Amino acid sequence: MKPATATITLLLLVLLVPSAALPSGTVCLQCHGAQTGSLGEPVTLWKGSVHEANSVSCHGCHGGDPTDVAMAMSPERGFIGVPKESDIPDFCGRCHVGVREDYLESAHGRALGSGGPTCVTCHGSHRVVTATIELINRRDCTRCHEYGRAEEIKSALAATDGSIATLERTLADLRRIGVTTKETDGELFDLRNRFHRLFHSVDVDKVRAGTAAFRQELDRIKGRVDAIQLELNHRKLWGGAVVVLLLLGAVLALLIYRSYRRER
Amino acid sequence: MELKKRILDFLDLRLGVRDLLARNLTEYLLPRNINVWYTLGAVLLTLFAIQFITGILLLVYYDPNTEHAFASVQRIVNEVPFGWLVRNLHAVGANFIVLALLLHMLSVLFMNSYKSPRELTWVAGFLILLLSLGMCLTGYLLPWSQLSFWATTVATKSPDEIPLIGDAVVRFLRGGAQVGQPTLGRFFALHVMGFPFVFGLLVAFHLFCVRRTGISRPPFGPGYEPPEPPRTFHHEEHPGGIPFFPHYVAKDIAVIFLFLALLASVIFFVPGLFFPPAAFEPADPFVTPQRIKPEWYFLWAYQTLRIFPNEFLGLAVQGAAVTFLLLLPFIDRSRERRPSRRPVFVTCFFLGLMAFIGLSIWGHFS
Amino acid sequence: MVNFDRRRFLGLGLGAITATLAAAALWPVWRYLAPGEESGAREKTAVPRERVPVGGALFIQHQGHPSVLVQYAPGEFLAFSAICTHLGCIIQWHADKSEFLCPCHGGRFSAQGKVLGGPPPRPLDPITVTLDGDRVLLG
Repeated sequence: MKPATATITLLLLVLLVPSAALPSGTVCLQCHGAQTGSLGEPVTLWKGSVHEANSVSCHGCHGGDPTDVAMAMSPERGFIGVPKESDIPDFCGRCHVGVREDYLESAHGRALGSGGPTCVTCHGSHRVVTATIELINRRDCTRCHEYGRAEEIKSALAATDGSIATLERTLADLRRIGVTTKETDGELFDLRNRFHRLFHSVDVDKVRAGTAAFRQELDRIKGRVDAIQLELNHRKLWGGAVVVLLLLGAVLALLIYRSYRRER
Repeated sequence: MELKKRILDFLDLRLGVRDLLARNLTEYLLPRNINVWYTLGAVLLTLFAIQFITGILLLVYYDPNTEHAFASVQRIVNEVPFGWLVRNLHAVGANFIVLALLLHMLSVLFMNSYKSPRELTWVAGFLILLLSLGMCLTGYLLPWSQLSFWATTVATKSPDEIPLIGDAVVRFLRGGAQVGQPTLGRFFALHVMGFPFVFGLLVAFHLFCVRRTGISRPPFGPGYEPPEPPRTFHHEEHPGGIPFFPHYVAKDIAVIFLFLALLASVIFFVPGLFFPPAAFEPADPFVTPQRIKPEWYFLWAYQTLRIFPNEFLGLAVQGAAVTFLLLLPFIDRSRERRPSRRPVFVTCFFLGLMAFIGLSIWGHFS
Repeated sequence: MVNFDRRRFLGLGLGAITATLAAAALWPVWRYLAPGEESGAREKTAVPRERVPVGGALFIQHQGHPSVLVQYAPGEFLAFSAICTHLGCIIQWHADKSEFLCPCHGGRFSAQGKVLGGPPPRPLDPITVTLDGDRVLLG
């Protein structure tokens, strides 16, 4: 579509669609959100994604001006549009720098453009959610090859991934009662990201060797969290003793009162 | 014992303390049918003392500046030795104080102890209740968390609907159009000095009235007769009653320890009870958390405002109810104090109580 | 008589409990108010100059936290926390561009720690640097 036609179409759509039905936010969301079919689908998919939760919107990946209808899809304002298959890793890799490196070095990366998977093959393009180990599964991986090695890698990752998830939950519980976990949160996040990067090399030996080092780091973080929990348990113990003493005192005082009342 | 006698002799020679101690402790007689509700006064004094002490301790490390307030509270809770204990005693203690205040008020209401000649005691006590709620409200803002910021925004918005002056009242409360540093400044001043000072005077007056008029007799039992209206001042005596010390002091201690045990249980075993997650996120004026609700003791007001389609009407109804309670001793002039002889009063009492509890529960779930 | 002795016993018990609780209350107050020790957490970290190439950076632990010392011009040193201010990942130094890059979401910081692009909300936390002969002192 020529830029002029596109602009006029955009303007017409924005003017004609009743504003009550428009989702608020960028012009991208306002226009595409009001459409049906393949043009409107990305908005529905994006809602609820980890990108939406972190305020990464359309223009963050596709470029363009999110405030100006006329320039929303203009290459002048950096609009990239839909990337070609072989450009996808670079597209996502502008932010996900580390993963892109590992991917390009891997067997998957080397197969890019000749039937190999890109980022969106496993992660989706708009409904991207926080990565879990379940992205490695028989149904998806056997689309291209047999499951054997993927299964090996998955089991090598599983234990550590489980520990990371447990630790994240523990930290959330601590945060819930007011413990400052910010620095440990960051450390764990860093660890989790570097750990998940490890998979993208799809190299069983590399994953196995790397997992050991990660376990060590994880144990160190866990040690610190355990120390916090130990301290909290200590407080409970002392607190229990205080409560018992107070209750005992109440009983004694009551008995003294009773003894005086009996006298009179 | 020798030392104790010598100290007493020293003070007695100069201040006559033996006489004071006798008149206020061992020879101060209370009605024989006194009940456990009369201990709540001592419980409240203890809880307020804890608030006062923990408050001063918190002041040592707290920074009343919007940039640093939240971080200073985090530091107290996480880095200062036993800071978590001081903070929790203060925050959880506040909730216990409101509970004890309500129980104390309920028992005084039920036993009709607010009646002549104790009207002034009641008015002072009711004002103490209002001031305490004011201290709860102002204190709530100080940690500058998401909960603090947005609960204060909602609370300071409510006078909005008062005709003519509503807007000005809101701006005056906030020190500006929105909740911000000016709000923190004035709330801090009120919470730390303004309210406590007036509160101290009122408590002193309240206790003076209690002691001067004489403790009331519970209106129960066969021997009770409604007294004649007094023509001159007289201090109510209870000849043949039980001595305050050591008898009732022992009971006071028992109930105080019980309340402290409850307080300690919550602090050590259910620390998150009065802290929703929003209490641990720093204030963000651009992000409103999902379900901001006031603290439990304000839920009745919150729900009342939601019931009435017209906000001003909702405010007016609450104002009327509070004013009615404040002036109750001047409205209810009958001499009869026995609940068994006052079916209308008892019905209204329980209806009011149900309304308060019902509105609060409704407010919690709505 | 028996009543009196029993009362004495109860009174003693109550007194003991109250004294214990009072002591248990005073100890935290004392610790709360007592000034903290100037512990080793405030120690400076010394780094020999030659370990940091001109235009390069050295990643070290300072007071137990991942930190980075960068020599952005001959003799000009700056030090920062190496923790990205976005979500906590450890940043990397790219000497060719003279900037820090976070591998997690592509956040970029200048050699002066300022945010150049990407999601980080704040500049890198700075660490004081002083020169001491042939050593660089952090903190």
